[in-house]
Amino acid sequence: MGYASTVKMPFGPQHPALKEPEHFLFELDGDTVVGVTPRIGYVHRGIEKALELSTYGHGLYLAERICGICTVAHTCCYTQAIEELMGIEVPPRAKYIRTIMSELERLHSHSLWVGLVAHEAGFDTLFMYAWRDREAILSLFQEITGGRVLHAINTLGGVRRDISPELADKIRCTMEYFEGRVKDYRRIIRTEPTFLKRTRDVGVLKPSDAAKLDAVGPTLRGSGIKEDVRRDDPYIAYDEMPFNVISSDGCDVFARTEVRVEEMMESIGIIRYALDRMPAGVFRVRAPRNAPAGECVSRVEAPRGEDMHFARSDGTAKPERYKVRAPTLANIPALCRMLVGIHVADIPIILAGIDPCFSCMDRMVVVRGGRASGTLQSKRDV
Amino acid sequence: MVTYEVLQLIVFPGALFAICLAFLYEWVDRKLFARVQGRYGPLYTGPAGIMQPVADFLKLLSKEDIVPRACDANLFFAVPVMYATLPLATLFMMPIAAPEALIAFDGDLIFILFAFGMMTLIIFLAGWSSASRFSAIGSVRSALQMLSYEIPLGLVLVCPAIAAKSLSVSGIVQWQAANATLGAALQPIGLAVTMVCLLAELELVPFDIPEAETEIVAGWRTEFTGWRLALFRLGRDLEVLLVAALVASLYLGGAQPLWLIPATAMFVVKTAAVVMVFSFVRALFARLRIDQMISGMWKYLLPIAALQVVLVQIGVGV
Repeated sequence: MGYASTVKMPFGPQHPALKEPEHFLFELDGDTVVGVTPRIGYVHRGIEKALELSTYGHGLYLAERICGICTVAHTCCYTQAIEELMGIEVPPRAKYIRTIMSELERLHSHSLWVGLVAHEAGFDTLFMYAWRDREAILSLFQEITGGRVLHAINTLGGVRRDISPELADKIRCTMEYFEGRVKDYRRIIRTEPTFLKRTRDVGVLKPSDAAKLDAVGPTLRGSGIKEDVRRDDPYIAYDEMPFNVISSDGCDVFARTEVRVEEMMESIGIIRYALDRMPAGVFRVRAPRNAPAGECVSRVEAPRGEDMHFARSDGTAKPERYKVRAPTLANIPALCRMLVGIHVADIPIILAGIDPCFSCMDRMVVVRGGRASGTLQSKRDV
Repeated sequence: MVTYEVLQLIVFPGALFAICLAFLYEWVDRKLFARVQGRYGPLYTGPAGIMQPVADFLKLLSKEDIVPRACDANLFFAVPVMYATLPLATLFMMPIAAPEALIAFDGDLIFILFAFGMMTLIIFLAGWSSASRFSAIGSVRSALQMLSYEIPLGLVLVCPAIAAKSLSVSGIVQWQAANATLGAALQPIGLAVTMVCLLAELELVPFDIPEAETEIVAGWRTEFTGWRLALFRLGRDLEVLLVAALVASLYLGGAQPLWLIPATAMFVVKTAAVVMVFSFVRALFARLRIDQMISGMWKYLLPIAALQVVLVQIGVGV
């Protein structure tokens, strides 16, 4: 069959498999996808402009709201950039608390994802289990910071609240419970034949493609490339933490699942280690109002992959330019590669496989001749 | 005498009883499914939420009726009615209150198989008539699915008939009663194959491919709202009851009194057990892809079904 025999099928912006609005135009030859065109930019919120209009202190709350799930990652990235511009050193205790929060966030994000991918595969029981167990982490967030979803723990110059010894015991206790649950998920995903059938050899991304298309996070590590900002460019207290960078050679959705589940085990280890060796002392220093002129790029390993922020200051109390590159944006080209040559029924599970967070990544819409069209240009920092 | 027969058809063990039982089993299924998943399930309407399926049904009846402009209006009207009435009519051939069904003739087993085929055809028409992409994909998947499970199902359902030398469900139940045996004990393979095929017939996980929520919304049911959706749900509940009744009758002895326990109670217990097995199974698996399902059915289930026929023939002694 030639080119003319293909059918164009739109997918999104409203679709039950997409939790956020994004559009993919699939070109189908029978039941096989032969081409895909993404159209991004539906949830452009003007956050970068808003960041440039607000002071550094206010910007923190905006950075917190870039993503609901990676809120700690984004504030970590933001505070790191601004603190470097301001030239302040964060106390070690604050670094440890930030590390603990980042890893707790990874736990909750990954367990949410395990549930979602199970749901896409029609395995609702695992979905319910994963989301039920995630409640333990959310309750822990509430105890530590007062908020279940947005934590507002990171602040310029440190963290807003300390972790007391009693709280540390509570976290250890929850980790004990959660470790058992994660081992359970690991057993289920490795042995459940129907789940294996839906995820093995589905959404294959070859290591060469993954590297060429700049995939990040578990998507990249699922293709056998051991790259992790926490190890390659350690930030906060990661240089003192013992952990393994997990990767898997499967290159499919199953490999990505495995990477995430193993990462949860590593996160539990990091949290325990950090709790045991938390340095004493203050957890916050005062931050100045203005930052001297300068530029800074800050990188953080968010649960979904590498999160990058760029800040340029002109010596005032507001950034002159602020740029956010959420991990999902980096994964879109790799996603489009994975989506070619698959069955239509596999589209949702592959889409879910990169752990997409479309609302976080939509930075700009280029208006050309009166018609809005999203482009990937924002990646190049227009 | 005629009044009594009409009463039998309409009230017990006919339509009203069947509908009540169907709603009860929807509750059993939802509750058990939820408990397996660590949820509570229906909780508020009636004791332990037992009235929830009825409440849902009434709520849907009161909802707005939306008819897509592009749909085939006549078919769109007829399909929900057919979907609800066909399993109800077929249920009259199931022995519920006594080993003899309300309507029993030699060959009603064939009719039941035909009814299962018709159900899928109605589903296909439902998806087709609503002129929606999701519905169309759902109905095509449903038809494809039927192509793969119908033949093994037909093969294994013949086995009890061969053993009992009767093509009537009532006859098979009476044969089991007379010989004090169970179809399940004689044909365990047949029971297993039947259960798998009927999972596919009911479109339950791992065979819920025609209504895969994350892929094609509600599949062939996407465009139906209000009373149409209510009738579809009722039809589904009745189909679950029909399927459970069939398994109970052919393999578990069906509606025959045991010591002091009346036949109806035995029927309820046995069908409830079958429904619970279905709920458990659908909590345990992920959804298969349509190609995996079809190849699995043809490669594994069909030979096993054929083996069962051969074994029964040997057992009966040609």
